Amino acid sequence: MDGEELTEQETALYDRQIRVWGVDAQRRLSKAHILVSGMKGTVVEFCKNIVLAGVGSLTLVDSREVTEEALSANFLIPPDENVYSGKTLAELCCDSLKDFNPMVRVSVEKGDISSFGGDFYGRFDVVVISSCSFATKKLINEKCRKVSKRVAFYTVDCRDSCGEIYVDLQNYTYSKKKLDETDECQLQYPSFEEAVAIPWRALPRKVTKLYLAMRVIERFEEAEGRNPGEISIADLPGVLKLKKELCDAQSFNESHVPDALLERLVSDTSEFPPVCAILGGILGQEVIKAISGKGDPLKNFFFFDAIDGKGIIEDISNPNPGS
Amino acid sequence: MADSTAHVSRSRDLDKLLLRPGHLVGPTFEPGPELRDDLRKFATVLVVGAGGLGCELLKDLALSGFKNLEVIDMDRIEVSNLNRQFLFRLQDVGKPKAEVAAKRVMERVSGVNIVPHFCRIEDKDIEFYNHFNIIALGLDSIEARSYINAVACSFLEYDSDDKPLEETIKPMVDGGTEGFKGHARVIIPGVTPCFECTIWLFPPQVKFPLCTLAETPRTAAHCIEYAHLIKWDEVHSGKAFDPDDPEHMKWVYSEAVKRAELFGIPGVTYSLTQGVVKNIIPAIASTNAIISAACALETLKIVSGCSKTLSNYLTYNGAEGLHTKVTEFVKDMDCLICGPGVLIELDTSVTLQKFMDQLQEHPKLLLSKASVKYREKNLYIQAPPVLEELTRSNLNLPLFDLMGKIRKDIVHVTGTTTNNDKKTSCLRKLRVVFKGIDGATDMDTAGGA
Repeated sequence: MDGEELTEQETALYDRQIRVWGVDAQRRLSKAHILVSGMKGTVVEFCKNIVLAGVGSLTLVDSREVTEEALSANFLIPPDENVYSGKTLAELCCDSLKDFNPMVRVSVEKGDISSFGGDFYGRFDVVVISSCSFATKKLINEKCRKVSKRVAFYTVDCRDSCGEIYVDLQNYTYSKKKLDETDECQLQYPSFEEAVAIPWRALPRKVTKLYLAMRVIERFEEAEGRNPGEISIADLPGVLKLKKELCDAQSFNESHVPDALLERLVSDTSEFPPVCAILGGILGQEVIKAISGKGDPLKNFFFFDAIDGKGIIEDISNPNPGS
Repeated sequence: MADSTAHVSRSRDLDKLLLRPGHLVGPTFEPGPELRDDLRKFATVLVVGAGGLGCELLKDLALSGFKNLEVIDMDRIEVSNLNRQFLFRLQDVGKPKAEVAAKRVMERVSGVNIVPHFCRIEDKDIEFYNHFNIIALGLDSIEARSYINAVACSFLEYDSDDKPLEETIKPMVDGGTEGFKGHARVIIPGVTPCFECTIWLFPPQVKFPLCTLAETPRTAAHCIEYAHLIKWDEVHSGKAFDPDDPEHMKWVYSEAVKRAELFGIPGVTYSLTQGVVKNIIPAIASTNAIISAACALETLKIVSGCSKTLSNYLTYNGAEGLHTKVTEFVKDMDCLICGPGVLIELDTSVTLQKFMDQLQEHPKLLLSKASVKYREKNLYIQAPPVLEELTRSNLNLPLFDLMGKIRKDIVHVTGTTTNNDKKTSCLRKLRVVFKGIDGATDMDTAGGA
């Protein structure tokens, strides 16, 4: 919506959430442009949440066709073959999301996400990618960082009943209201490449095993030229071998990355609907915080495991400022 | 599309939880395809509320493989719901929430059957709630939660060692949200604390003393409540205030503004007026999504016994960063609701009427307008008039006779009790013991007869 004030329609529709984050935040949301790639269950949940919240626009990228697996965790696709046949995931999700909030401009961008240039990314305030290879994550993160205005960058992935969110807000300043005074806070986020380059030995001893396991599997898929998620139990010996190599190369004790966890993550790469909802909810929250500039954002990794229901935040960044 | 292929890929993720044993499973967990299929075909779950939490719950449960769901909600859809109750569209405004929600989920998830109930939770007979394996709550008030909790706990029976009988346990999963905060809890009656056991968790409800409103207001809310509770009656005596009537609301707002100006108090806005008068709870989609998903996960774990459930109260706060905590609260052994029941000792000559009179005086109950149920039978029922007439003759009969002349058993009573000057409907479990009867005839035998 153009113009400074919220319309009467917006005020009525968003009443309950304006009471949470205020009119100013709602205005900023209505001017925000979001890019999303990889329409799997978690991302779909995220899209629902921000469309309902009333962002300015949402652009979807995913040229894959519908599969049985997609239907089981994607609430936006009608299970009628007559309807979904011939359309891409992005197109189907786009139609459904428009229904949730006609005031949000939802559209589809065709093409390969890694082929778009910097001016493309410059059109957005927030970029969320999922189901991307290690190389693609690095590439898109770099492109976002090169844009002169700040583009908030997130990745989200779900394997078995675990999930991971990565956040890059570059140099982020925000204000925090404490009783009568307002504090100015500043955070410095490392790029994805910088974060994962930090030697595992340098990480806190209690760092969640999920972080390490995800990195091993990511590297494996990369080395084998696989699409993300294209992995199975038959690959376990190869994965364990790669784990040993990665650990030896950095003098890191390989028992810190449990074999059982790796086995779990390669055996099933499909998503579990309630886990998608939790991750999509948290990611939705984070993006709303980044757009509105209100609230402590997550820095910089979040993990969730349905088996124990725990959510863990890890700050994987170099403690020395300026590097 | 062969059903077996659909079966395989759709449940692939569930299979991971249900087809293999694990370290965190419950003691009765038996992995295998039968368990997964049972889940699909036989488990029935009731979702109470089709609002912010209810919509998300229905979606999550349907996608998780539950085939038989029912949903109950007495409200109709309003515009302010649409920012988070994603199953509803602008053109649905005015329609019953339960019906639209059920329809939309069934359209998107093949194979699930959802029965909607457009009515108040109190309108259903208690036995209605007994048919479900588990009850998931997406409610927005303490009173409603209290009621369902009492109903679920009313099914609970104890053995002679005061241990809960497993087949009478009716588990509940309860979620609640406000803004960036929320909670999800698991209630296993007889094992974990029930809702009443932990009612002390709630801070006292905000009630402004009348003298503050009338003489010394200090905040914008005081001015609003003055206009709403005092001035309205002075000017419109006899006419009820309707919070949904914009004219009424505007009148209260303008009176509140006048009062605020008089006392130099800032902050009275139309939005605040609505919020105070209607007790509006601020709400956003993402918190509801997170809490409902946590509840759906716990529902799945309880029904299939496939993992350790949340033990037993999760709080979530997304306002300052991200914070979750799980606390293990303990059951209150003397709980009126989930405990073995309030003990009432009676002579065998006491009539049903006299018994009901005693309930009014009993310090732990203070129950008036009682309806009494024993096992499946309504001994006396207050309404509707036709049933009242039918059961009126029982009032003069000894309760001992009406209960089949056994020494002791559980009786359920519904009625009204007064709590903090507010009359609320309630359900209570009573352990009735008759004096002077030979102890050889005990509850277990009577139960099995």
